[in-house]
Amino acid sequence: MNFASLNGSHLIAADSISKSYGRVQALAPLSITIGQGERVALAGPSGSGKTTLLYLLAGVIQPDSGDLLLGGQDLTRQKPGKEKAGMVGLIHQQYDLVPHLSVLHNVLAGRLGQWSLFRSLISLVWPQDRHVAEAALAQMGIADKIHERTSHLSGGEQQRVAMARLMLQGSRVILADEPVSSLDPARAEDLLEILTALAGDSGKTLIASIHAPHLMRKHFSRVIGLREGRIEFDIPSEEVTDQVLEKLYNLDQSEPFVWGGGN
Amino acid sequence: MGRRELRLLESRRLLTLLLAGVFLWSLSSVDWKGPLIHTGGVGAFWNFLSSLFPPDLSPGFLRLALTASWQTLAYAVAGITLAVLIGFPLGVVASGSVPGSPRTGLGLAVAVRFILAAMRSIHELVWAVLFVAAFGLSSLTVILALALPYAGILGRIYSELFSQVPEEPLRSLRASGASPLRVLLYGRLPMALPDLLGYTFYRLECAIRSAAIMSFVGIRGLGFEIQLSLNDLLFGQVWTLLLFMVGMVVVVDLWSTRVRRSLVS
Repeated sequence: MNFASLNGSHLIAADSISKSYGRVQALAPLSITIGQGERVALAGPSGSGKTTLLYLLAGVIQPDSGDLLLGGQDLTRQKPGKEKAGMVGLIHQQYDLVPHLSVLHNVLAGRLGQWSLFRSLISLVWPQDRHVAEAALAQMGIADKIHERTSHLSGGEQQRVAMARLMLQGSRVILADEPVSSLDPARAEDLLEILTALAGDSGKTLIASIHAPHLMRKHFSRVIGLREGRIEFDIPSEEVTDQVLEKLYNLDQSEPFVWGGGN
Repeated sequence: MGRRELRLLESRRLLTLLLAGVFLWSLSSVDWKGPLIHTGGVGAFWNFLSSLFPPDLSPGFLRLALTASWQTLAYAVAGITLAVLIGFPLGVVASGSVPGSPRTGLGLAVAVRFILAAMRSIHELVWAVLFVAAFGLSSLTVILALALPYAGILGRIYSELFSQVPEEPLRSLRASGASPLRVLLYGRLPMALPDLLGYTFYRLECAIRSAAIMSFVGIRGLGFEIQLSLNDLLFGQVWTLLLFMVGMVVVVDLWSTRVRRSLVS
C-alpha cells in the first residue's frame, strides 16, 4: 500500500478493521496509518464508508473486527471520558450542540472532561475559563454571538460553535464529517482555512470528508479515496486529478463521468 | 424489525378489542330503568346553582376567604417544593443518568422506579390520615401528605422527560469527555427544562386542589370553609370560596405560561 507520508510516529494505526450494519458491509477490512500533524481528506461517493471510518476513529462506534490503535492505545477497549476526549474530537455533520444552552456554555462543554463535577455545576452560573471560550469564538469569527441561544444561530454559525468547543477540548486528532457540505464555495474556503489553522497551530492531525478536488489540493496533504468500504487510492494531495476523482465517484465504472456535464 | 412492528400492532389491536369488550360488558350492570337523579335532587341542585347570584361578597367574609386561600396556597407551595426536592434526584436516578457501570445504573433505576410507584400509589388523603395519627393536625401533616405522592408522580415524569431528549447532542457531549452527571447538567437538563417546569406548574395546580380537600381530615383552609358553609346551607358563601379556588388556579396557570415563554424565547 502506498502511504503518502510515513514520518515514523503513527498516531493512528488501523489494522484490518471492518464494520457491518446488518447485512450491509459499510467497511471492508482495511488498514491505514496516519501520522501526527497529517491533514487527510477522505473522498468517495455516498455510502462509501467515510462516515463509518470517522466514527470508528472517534470511538463512537466499535469495529466488528481488527485492531485500532490511537497513540499506541487500543481505542476499542477505552471507555469514553477524559483520556479519549483528549485524543480525538469529532465535528458531526449536524453539529449536535445543545440548542437550549447559550453559545458560551456549548463552547465550555469542551472542558467537561477536564473539569470536576463541582466546577461543571458552578460554571452554569459563573462561567469558568471564560476567556478561553471568548478567544476560541473570536478565532472562529463569532465573538459577538457568545450570549445568544444556540438554537438562534444559523447552521454555519453552529458549526463554528462546534469547532470552538473542539478547541477547548484540546484533542490531538480532529475529525470532521462533511464540514463544507452545506456551505457555499466562499464559506467553504473560509471554514477550511480556520480548520487547518486550528490543526496546524499545535500539530494536530486533521481528517475530514471532502469532495471538491481544489479544496483537497489546497488544504490537505493526503487524500484517501473510499469506494464501497474499500480504499481505492491513498495518495499525496498533489497527485489528485479530476480524472482520479471521476473514476472514484463514477456510478457506472464502465462509462466516463463528466464533472458538471449533465444533459 | 418489520415483523416485530407487525406483532406489536397485532397485540395492540387485541388489547383495544379486549378493553372495548370490558366496556360493553360493564354497561350490562347499569340499572337503566331506575331514575338517574333522586327525588328532590333537581330542586336542591337548582337552588345551589341559583345562589351563585349573589355570592357572599361582604368584606368580613372576603377577608375570611382570603385567609383560607392563603392557607391552602401555602400548604400547596410547601408541599410541591418538598415534592420537587425529593422527586428530582429520584427522577435523575430513575432515568439511569448516574455514574458507574450501565448495569448498576439500570438496577438502581428499577429500584427507584419501584419506590416512586409505591409513593404515588397511595392517595394524599390516605397519607394525610396516616400522618394525622403521627403528627396530629399540624402543617407538617399536610405538607408531608402532599409531598410524598407528588414526589412519586414528579419523579416518574421527570425521568421520562430526561430520557426523551434527543440523543445526538448527548453523544456529542460524551465525546467531549463528559460523564453521565455532566451530560445531565449540560444536555438533558437544559433540553428538558421547559417541559419540567410546565409539568411542575401543572402539578402545583393539582396540589392546590389536594390541599383544599385536606379538610376531610380536619385541616383548615379553603376546603374547610367550604365544608362549614355547606353545612349551614350558606350557598352564597360556598360560591365565593369556589371562585377564590378557581382564581388561584388561573393565576398559577398564567404564571406558568409567562415562565415558560421567557424560557423559550
